[in-house]
Amino acid sequence: MNNLKLNPSSISFLPALVIIPLVYQLLNNFHIGGFELLKDFIISALNPKIDNEIIITLLTRINETIFIAFLSWLISIIFGILFGILSSDILFNILDLPIFFKVLIKLFLTFIRSIHEVIWGLILMQIYGISSSIGIIAICIPYIAINAKVFSEQIDTINLKNIESIKQINGIRFSSLITLVWSPVIKTFKNFGLYRLECAIRSTAILGLFGIGGIGTSIFLSFQTLNFSELWTYLWGLSFLIIISKYLLKRFNLSNTSKEFLIFFIIALFCIILFSVSFFFYFLYNKNQTTIISLNNLLTSNYSFISYDLLKLIIETIILSLYSTALAISIPPIFIFIFNNKIGIIVIRSISFIFRLIPPPITILILLMFNDPSISLAALTLGLHNAGITSNLLLANLNNQDNKQYIAMKSLGLKKRSSWLFGLFVKQSNSYLAYCAYRSDIIIRETAILGVIGSIGLGWQLQESLSSFAWNEIIIILFAYSSIAIVGELINDKIKRNLA
Amino acid sequence: MINTLLELKKVTYKYKNNIHLNKINLQIKLGDKIALLGKTGAGKSILISILNGTIKPTTGVVKLFNTDFDKSSIYHRGKISTIWQDLRLIEDLSVEQNVNCGLLGKESFLFAFKNLLNISSFKKAHQYMKLCYVNELIYSKNIKKISGGQKQQVAIARSLIQGSDILLADEPLNNLDPKLASNIKNLLLISKNKIRLPNTILISSHRLDLLDGFNRIIGMKKGQILFDVEKTKLKKFHLDKIY
Repeated sequence: MNNLKLNPSSISFLPALVIIPLVYQLLNNFHIGGFELLKDFIISALNPKIDNEIIITLLTRINETIFIAFLSWLISIIFGILFGILSSDILFNILDLPIFFKVLIKLFLTFIRSIHEVIWGLILMQIYGISSSIGIIAICIPYIAINAKVFSEQIDTINLKNIESIKQINGIRFSSLITLVWSPVIKTFKNFGLYRLECAIRSTAILGLFGIGGIGTSIFLSFQTLNFSELWTYLWGLSFLIIISKYLLKRFNLSNTSKEFLIFFIIALFCIILFSVSFFFYFLYNKNQTTIISLNNLLTSNYSFISYDLLKLIIETIILSLYSTALAISIPPIFIFIFNNKIGIIVIRSISFIFRLIPPPITILILLMFNDPSISLAALTLGLHNAGITSNLLLANLNNQDNKQYIAMKSLGLKKRSSWLFGLFVKQSNSYLAYCAYRSDIIIRETAILGVIGSIGLGWQLQESLSSFAWNEIIIILFAYSSIAIVGELINDKIKRNLA
Repeated sequence: MINTLLELKKVTYKYKNNIHLNKINLQIKLGDKIALLGKTGAGKSILISILNGTIKPTTGVVKLFNTDFDKSSIYHRGKISTIWQDLRLIEDLSVEQNVNCGLLGKESFLFAFKNLLNISSFKKAHQYMKLCYVNELIYSKNIKKISGGQKQQVAIARSLIQGSDILLADEPLNNLDPKLASNIKNLLLISKNKIRLPNTILISSHRLDLLDGFNRIIGMKKGQILFDVEKTKLKKFHLDKIY
C-alpha cells in the first residue's frame, strides 16, 4: 500500500474531519425549544419591517455607522501606510537606520494587532464610557497594525535591484524612498485598502452590538426584543451599505483625477493626520481624569491569585480557533465540489453572503435558541462566517481562472466534478490555502467576540473581569490572547512561506 | 584638474567561494570612451557594479576622484550614472515619470512627490526622450505596456537626464534594432548636442560591429582583464583571446 501523500488540494478538504466531533457535541447539546423562533427569524428575512419610523431610524443608524466606519477606515489606512513604511526593510536600507528600531516597531504593531477591536472597545468603554469616539479608536488600534503589516509586506516585495538603481541616482533619501514605495503602496491600497472599508463597516456593526452606536446597536436591540422583522430591516440596510461602499470605492481612481483634486486630496490627507493625532492626545490626556486613576489600577491592584482556570480557557480558545479555521478552509471546496452546477453556485453564493452579512454574535445567539453554549457551537458560528468569506474568494478566483486544464480533463473522459477538482481547483489550492492561513490569523482574534457572547474561552472571562474591574486579570487575559495570536501568526507566516 | 575619475586597484570580488573578479587594475580617465568586451559571465556586469559602488569588492581599492569610494561625497557619487542590463525601471510608473526619476539627485523631495502624482513638469524628460528616439506616443504609457526595446530607450534617457560626468552602461544596445543601436551609440559617443551628456563612458557590449567611436577597448575573461588597448591598436588576436 502506498503512503498517504498530502498536497494543497487534499489539505483543503481534510480539515472537514472536525465535523465529526462538532456534530457529536452539537447533537448532545441539542434542544428544540427555539425552533419557532428560528422559523420566525427565517421568514422575517423575506418580510422585513418597513414603515416611516423604522426607515428614519435605519437612516440615522446608517449615518452613524458610516461616520464611525469611514473615519476609522481612513485614519487606519493613513497610519497603516505610515507604520507600514516605518516597519519595512526598505526604509532601513535606504536611510541606513539601526535594525533595532524596526524590531521595536514590529513588536509594538504585533502586540496591538493581536487583540481584537471588540476587546479594545470593551476595555476603552470600561475606562472612558460609551461614545462613538471609542468605536473609532477601538477599530483604529488593531486596524492600523493590520494595515501596516500588509503594506510593509508589499513594500518589501520591491526588487533589491530596483532599490540599488534608485539609490545609485544619489538623490535625497526621502525622495528615493517615496519613489520606490509609491507603487506598492498605491497597489496595496487598491487591492487591500479599499476592501478594509467593508471590514470597518462590519467591525462598526459588531462594536454596535456592544453599545457603541450605529446599526449594530439597533440590530442587538431588535434581537433582544425578538423583533426579527425589524432586525432584518437593519440587516438588509447593513448589506445595502456594504454593497454601495464596495461599488463606490471600485469607481475611485486616483490616477485619472485632475491636478486640483489631487492637491485637495493631499491637503485633506494632511488635515486628517493632524486632526487624528491631536484628537488622540486630547482624548488621552483631557477627556477623563479618572482614566489615569484607572490606568494606575493596572499597576497597583493587589489581587493575589487568579480566580479562574487560565490554562483551560487558553486551551478552549485554541481549540475554538482550530475548529473554526478547519471549517472555514474545508466547507467552501466541499460544497462547490458537491453542488457544482449553476444553481448550486448561486445558492452557495447567496448562503455565503448571508453568513458574511450576519454578525457572528447574532448568529451564535440564534444558534443558542436550540443548543447549549459549547466550543462546537462557537466554532460552527465562526467557521460559517469565515467560510462565507473564503468561499467568496475561492469562487471569484475560480471564475477568473482560464479553463484550459478543465477542458483537457473533460476531454480525458473525466466527469464534471473530477474535471473541476483536477482541472480548476488543483491550480487554486495553493493560493486558497495561503489566504486561509491569513484568515486564520483573523479567526484567532475573532474568538474573542464569540467568547464574550458564547460563554467560551478567554473572551468570556475577559467580559467577566471587565465587569468587575479586575485589571490584573484583564492584563493576564490580554497577554494570553496576544500570545496565542502571535504564535498563530508565526505559524501561519511559515505556512504561507512554504506555500509561496 | 583631476584626470583620473575612477580607479580600481587590485580589486577582487568573491561570492560563495567563486571568484568573479580577480585582481583588476583599471583607470578611467576624463573623456575615455571605453568598450568593455567579453563573453557572458566574464565579469563585466560585476565590474560595472563595483565601479558605481553598488557592490563592494572583497579586496582591493576603488577610488572616485582620487578618494576612496566609501569616503566620497554624494555630490561626487552623483557624477556616475548607470544603465543596468536588466534596466531596473519602475514598472508601475509611466515612461515620463521613470525618466524624471533620473532627476531625483538634483531636485527636491517635493519634485519626487509631484512626479509620483504625475503633476510635475516633464519638459526636461521629453527633451531627453526625444534625444533617445523614444516615440512620443508612449510618453505617458505605463512601463509594463511598452516593448523591450522601448524600455531600453527609456532606461538610457533616465540615465542621461541625470547629467552625470561618467556613464556606465551594461549592454545598453541589446534590445535595439541595428539602426537605433547605431544612432544611440553615436548619441553617446560622438554627438555634440546642446543638451549636456556624459563625456566619459564605459559600455559593455557583445556587438563588435559597433566599436567605431570608442577610443579604448577592454577585453575580459573569467574575471580578469586580458587586454586594455586603444581602439586603433585592437587586433584579431585580442578578440580571439576573449571569445
